This record gives sequence, C-alpha cells and structure tokens, in this order.
Amino acid sequence: MEDLSVVIIKRGKKRYTEPFMHKKLHDSIVAACLSVRAPEGQAEATADAVCEGVISWLKQRPEVTSQDIRVIATRYLKKYHPEAAYLYEQHRITI
Amino acid sequence: MDITVSLSIIALAAFIHSSFQLSVSVLTLLSGHTIGAKKSHAKLVKLTTSFILGVGTMTVLLLSTISLLLLQLFGPKPPQIVWASGCGLLVGLAFLVWLFYFRQEKGTTLWVPRSIAHYLTERTKATKLSAEAFGLGLSSVFGELLFIIAPLIITALVLIQLEPTWQLIGLGMYTIISLLTLIIIWVIVCKKHNISKIQRWREANKNFIQFISGTSLIILCFFVYAYEIIGSAIGGI
Repeated sequence: MEDLSVVIIKRGKKRYTEPFMHKKLHDSIVAACLSVRAPEGQAEATADAVCEGVISWLKQRPEVTSQDIRVIATRYLKKYHPEAAYLYEQHRITI
Repeated sequence: MDITVSLSIIALAAFIHSSFQLSVSVLTLLSGHTIGAKKSHAKLVKLTTSFILGVGTMTVLLLSTISLLLLQLFGPKPPQIVWASGCGLLVGLAFLVWLFYFRQEKGTTLWVPRSIAHYLTERTKATKLSAEAFGLGLSSVFGELLFIIAPLIITALVLIQLEPTWQLIGLGMYTIISLLTLIIIWVIVCKKHNISKIQRWREANKNFIQFISGTSLIILCFFVYAYEIIGSAIGGI
C-alpha cells in the first residue's frame, strides 16, 4: 500500500516531523499481536484491517501527531484483538 | 545482633528491594519486544536470563561497594547515629513510595526521571544480543537506585558486622531474594504465558504494590530501631 502525504509530528521536545509510513504502522501492529501470542496469519490480517482504518481516518487530515496515530490505531485494534490493543496502548506507559 | 536477626533484616530488606518495579517493567517490555520481533523461544530465554543476570550482578556490586564504604568509614561496629540515620532514610523513603512511586496516570509509569525511563524503553527496543540484555539489567538497577538505596544501606550495615562466611551468605541471600519477582516473571514468560496478563495484573495492583513497599520499609525501620538502638540502650543500662 502507498504511503499518504500526511505529516506526522513526533513526540519529544524537538517535535520533528516525518511522512506517514504504512509499513511502520503495520509492523508495530503485527509486533503487538505477536507479543500476545497471536498466530502470525492473524497478526498480519489484524494489522491490515487496522492500517485500513487508520488510513481512512488520516485521509481528511494533512497533519497529525504520532500520539494521534497511536490512539486511533488502538481504537481499531480493540475491535479485532483487545489483548494486543491493551499491550499496544501500554507500550509507552510501562516504565 | 545474632545471626538469625541479621539474616531476618537482610531478608526483609531484600523483599522490599524485590517489590520495586523498574526492572520488572523493563523485563516485561523486553519479553514483549522479543516475542513481537518473531525471535525464537530459545532467544527469548537467553535474553531474559542475561537480563536477570545483569540485575543480579549490579545488585551484588552495589551492595558490596556500599558495605566496603561503610566498613572503611565506621569499621565493623557502626555508631548508633549511623543506624538512626538509616532508620530516618527508611521512613523518608516509605513516605516517598506511598505518595509518589507510581505516577497517577494510566499504565504503570514510575516516579523515575523521564529521561531514564525513555532511555530504558529505547534500549529495550534495541536489545538483540545477550550482552545488551545483560547491560540493560545493570542499568535498570542503577535507574531505581533512589528507591533501593535505603534497603541496601541497612543490609550493608548488617553485613559488615558479620563473620566473612556469613557476609557471603548474606550477600547471596539478599541477591536471590531481591531477584524473586524477576524470576517469577521469567518463569511465566518461559512457560509461554501472555505478557499482557502480567502487565494487566501490575496495572490493576499498582496501588497495593505501592502500599506494601512503603509499609515494609516502615516495618524494617521498626525492626532495625528496636534491635539496634533500643536494644543497645537497654543493654547499656
């Protein structure tokens, strides 16, 4: 799938930006699903569905923060795999 | 102070040390990342074992260094003012733990500097080799030094009064007990249980963990105060 021309504002003090990368989001969702011992096929299918949802949300927005992407991805992931969604959400708030 | 009392104080201090959560958080993250990165189960076991060995090594090094420093400063019989200061540190730390240990927000974020938390999160993500996992274990103990310093000092004060053989036994006992929570998580991970269940449990019980850690510090303080300060005063009379 092609990457959209959406600007992602990253976390941190410098707030640097990067273009939206479909693969990066897809890989992070797959990793979250695998972390909760989901089978690889299910992880891939879930990541496809979540990415589709996030991309449709992004289409109306030229600029979002990486935190927005995480929140929206978690919202979609909850529908398909609640356990993976929990771990995905917890990633930045574990330590 | 006899051997039984000394070992009891060391065991209680080590139990308090084991209740602190930074290393547990890092181990949970490390396990999650390793499984998510499609690494083999053998690799997962290797990395988590190296991490625990790193934590154990840093605990031994810290406790030995503090013991050596205290021995150089006060000799094998530290004055009561040092014990009283140790008790004061325990009480202060107990209030700190009760009030601030977990941040009042979602998740299990700890009251450690955000730069350290960020560094550990990023390092956990980048860890691929056993040596890196070992180093991560070393740094995670260092990261929670603010909280473990009081039980370490009390243990060191007890250790320097013992015979060399008992010092080694005490050092080993402290290290093993302080690693217990990590060993439990390691067993759960190695048995292929779900990481999210561990994190859910930790999040649901964080107030309880915080309360137990703080209360145990107060209990240790009373224990040490009763034996070392009141006990010596009565013995002196």
